[in-house]
Amino acid sequence: MNMEKEKKVPRRPIWTGSLAIGLVNVPVKVYPMIYDRGISFRFLHKTDGHPLKYQKVCTKDNKVIPWEEVAKGYEVTKNEYVIFDKEELEAVKPESDKRIRLDKFVDYFAVDPVYFDRSYVLMPDKSADAYGLLLTAFEKKGKAGVGRITLRTKEYPALVHAYKNALVLTTLRYAYDVVDPRGFEELKKLEEPEKAELDLAVKIVTDLSGEFDITEYEDNYKQKVEELIKKKLKGQTVTPEKPVQEEVKGLMAALKDTLKQLEKQ
Amino acid sequence: MEKLTKVEFSNLEKILFPKLEITKAQVIEYYIKIAPKMLNFLANRPLVVTRFPDGIDQNGFYGKDAPQGTPSWVKTVKFYSGTAERDINYILCNDLDTLIWLANIAAIEIHVPFSKADSREKPDLMFFDVDPEPPATFKNAVKVALQLKETLDKVGLESYVKTSGKKGLHVIVPIASGHTFKETRTFVHKIGQQLAKTQELVVSEFKETKKPGKVFVDYLQNSHGRTMASPYSLRAVPDATVSTPLAWSEVKKGIKPTEFNISSVVKREKDPWKKIFDNKQKLTV
Repeated sequence: MNMEKEKKVPRRPIWTGSLAIGLVNVPVKVYPMIYDRGISFRFLHKTDGHPLKYQKVCTKDNKVIPWEEVAKGYEVTKNEYVIFDKEELEAVKPESDKRIRLDKFVDYFAVDPVYFDRSYVLMPDKSADAYGLLLTAFEKKGKAGVGRITLRTKEYPALVHAYKNALVLTTLRYAYDVVDPRGFEELKKLEEPEKAELDLAVKIVTDLSGEFDITEYEDNYKQKVEELIKKKLKGQTVTPEKPVQEEVKGLMAALKDTLKQLEKQ
Repeated sequence: MEKLTKVEFSNLEKILFPKLEITKAQVIEYYIKIAPKMLNFLANRPLVVTRFPDGIDQNGFYGKDAPQGTPSWVKTVKFYSGTAERDINYILCNDLDTLIWLANIAAIEIHVPFSKADSREKPDLMFFDVDPEPPATFKNAVKVALQLKETLDKVGLESYVKTSGKKGLHVIVPIASGHTFKETRTFVHKIGQQLAKTQELVVSEFKETKKPGKVFVDYLQNSHGRTMASPYSLRAVPDATVSTPLAWSEVKKGIKPTEFNISSVVKREKDPWKKIFDNKQKLTV
């Protein structure tokens, strides 16, 4: 078992195409950059340790439904659905555009992190020169390009910027997917702070100011669970064993009895 | 788990008798429990089994040949079959494991011939099949079996009776070695004819077997290729009856074949056929 998964570079790109700026195309490969390295558990049956699986069950009669019989439904009003076949939705899927179109350049810090969705690394695809040129220009200007990318079936707004000597693409959330906090009533009741209090608060913020270092933060829960796992491995582990059903137990009892009788014969 | 048997159980929860919801586990348990009484009747006899892997409501299959996947530890014996025009690998059940294995392959009915593998032409059992033809019933079979016993008593032969598990009764006379099937066949036929003379209910000739309301004393089974349901074999009928060895005193008015079934027979303390193989009798033909 290897709990300390090494941070490896992903082997295969999830997308290939080109960065398009005006008339210039820079061929790139897109690699995943974000991994969820949290602890994952499987659900087991408490009494015998076997993994559990999910099944799609019809709410009408609790029958298990095979994939062939599954359709997608859009709930129009409560309990009323418009049903779609796989083919119908397939037909309107966005065409996979092989270009990341950059429309304009903005200050990187002008984009608030609330819009950040997921980051990907861009690598040059056979034309390292064009890639290098673009990277240097980004670094020099401290700017990020804003544009669009289609990944699988969804079109995302995206941001391309220089990060650790590479071009990184971050998909963004649409404005309507992000809550505007001004909608909360509580904010409307906020009062102007007293000057003395404000000075104190500003002082605290100033005193605690420092460099940002993500490695200062660790997942304590994850570490504790990993310790538990190590302990369990030495002592009691839940390993699924070949089930000894009730029936077999009954047969074994009968068998013992018969063997005893046969011995006497 | 201790290794008490070589058999790897499978599909234990499969229902083999749907009416009573009897599972394969229960069938195996029955054969394990009955083994001390039953094994003696199976030993060294080339078996014919009827398997019902999908339960008795589905078609079973009748098998002389040891099936594919028969474990190497199961003893078999090869005989040429004239009808099949090839060698057939018969199963021999000489131990508990083989009996359990048979149960596990859903061989609900186990049939035995009247001679052993090493002396196939020389029977050690003489068989009277008392088979009522509807509307004749088990009640009529009981009557005829009792008359048969009386007749056999008169010629000095001790006989043993069992239910067939279906509608009839089987009467057996264990015999000394040296007799041929032709002799036993002739003997049974003669006794049948004798009975038919005095009893209106009884028919003794093959051509009369299907006469409605009659009880045929079948002598033709006395041949090396023929078999009977083994004593203590389950029968593939909804009530899960057992072909059960009885004491003659039990064969009387009111007895029903369904009384003797998968759950009741293991509780019987009596073993009325226990000494059957110590009682080899000479026939005077």
